[in-house]
Amino acid sequence: MKKTEYVKLIDTTRCTACRGCQVACKQWNEMPASRTRNFGSYQNPPDLQWNTWTLIRFQEYADKNGDFKWLFRKDGCMHCTEAACIKVCPSGALYHTDYGTVALNRSACIGCKACVSACPFDIPRYNQATDKIYKCDLCYTRLHEGQKPACVLSCPTGAITIGEKKAMIEAAYNRVAKLDGKATVYGDKFVGGTHVMYILSENPAAYDKLPSNPKVPASVILWKNLFKPFTLIGMGAVAGMAALHYLIKGPHEVHEKKEGGEHDV
Amino acid sequence: MSDTIRDMVRVTDPIERISHWLLAGSCLFCLFTGLGFMFRTWGFIPSLLGGLYALKWMHIFSGVVFGFALVYAYTMWRKDCAFEPDDAQWIKQGGGYLWKTSSLPPVYKYNAGQKLFFWFVVVFGVLIVLTGLVMWNPLAFPVAVARWSYALHALSALVIGSFFVVHLYLGTIGNPGTFQAMTTGWCSRAWCETHCPRWLADHYKKPE
Repeated sequence: MKKTEYVKLIDTTRCTACRGCQVACKQWNEMPASRTRNFGSYQNPPDLQWNTWTLIRFQEYADKNGDFKWLFRKDGCMHCTEAACIKVCPSGALYHTDYGTVALNRSACIGCKACVSACPFDIPRYNQATDKIYKCDLCYTRLHEGQKPACVLSCPTGAITIGEKKAMIEAAYNRVAKLDGKATVYGDKFVGGTHVMYILSENPAAYDKLPSNPKVPASVILWKNLFKPFTLIGMGAVAGMAALHYLIKGPHEVHEKKEGGEHDV
Repeated sequence: MSDTIRDMVRVTDPIERISHWLLAGSCLFCLFTGLGFMFRTWGFIPSLLGGLYALKWMHIFSGVVFGFALVYAYTMWRKDCAFEPDDAQWIKQGGGYLWKTSSLPPVYKYNAGQKLFFWFVVVFGVLIVLTGLVMWNPLAFPVAVARWSYALHALSALVIGSFFVVHLYLGTIGNPGTFQAMTTGWCSRAWCETHCPRWLADHYKKPE
């Protein structure tokens, strides 16, 4: 039976970049830390890693009027409805849960890395030591037990909330209506709707590493919707034509040249 | 070793046959294991070979063998497979396979169809090997290169796989007497007069 579709809503206007969610995520998923180097930002680690499934991105941003802003964005898997990673996964390790989220059965993952380049949000990360892929599964085991994801539970300002999809989309638009003109809802208009959505205080284009119009890559659509079926159609059609040729024209026999006779082609 | 015995003619040497089967064997194994990745419902393929993870490494290994065999095959056959003006006429007549035609232009070693197959395998073989190398470690390449490699790899498999079926048919039941060119290497003189008359005239004198 199809369970409720959930949406996790991240209200960037309420985020103070305390990074409690980052820590809670690591703790719940038992992911170790890696040693990093300071690169002049509070953003740490510098990017998502196989062992860091969510990351607060710190961005210094000046808008057109020269007003300086410090943008915080909690990055991580968006849990697409039209998920390119699931489309390319050869083992079925990546799959849609009953909540509409994208989970990962790591024991089935063969480390082919096809999902890494297919993802329009650049989320899956590969671990060479285990030869497997890692990413946020929106705390599938917690959802299953009626618990909120670790990041949601940890958030002290209420910037991260989760609930039934329709209600959350409605809540997002209500919130944006109360904010100033630039604020937008991000996530319901592409890739079939994502199960992680943002309330952004700025235009999506202002944010680092956030595509304004994410979609399943054209190469993935060509590969899976055209070339894949035509591999069988092509080989099958040719085999069928060969069989028909054999039945209608027959094999191309070689005839001995008769003395003085014409050679039969 | 003599190259003619009574009415038989030696049309391939052992090196040609070995490299042909190395190329064909690795190609078919790649095709078979590749279908195991492409169609998740075809679980019998990974089941036969020890699971999808084992399949990944077998596919990569076989692909490397295919790459080397392809380079060797290219150096070995490119001269025999260079196109000549007469080839256009052969193609126009469908090689005499599809409808009744007047006699075909006499072929040297390989006919235009065989040459086309060779060049398709070379072009799409190079493409499938190069894209395969990218797919082996896609993280080392720009994301656009990695993305298009997957699509072009699948396209190349489609092309090579379809041509392979034609090759299989014409090399076996479609042309009786042909298959031994790639087993023992000996074909009948009559076969040579039909399939490679100019080459035969160049290499062997008729016994009187």
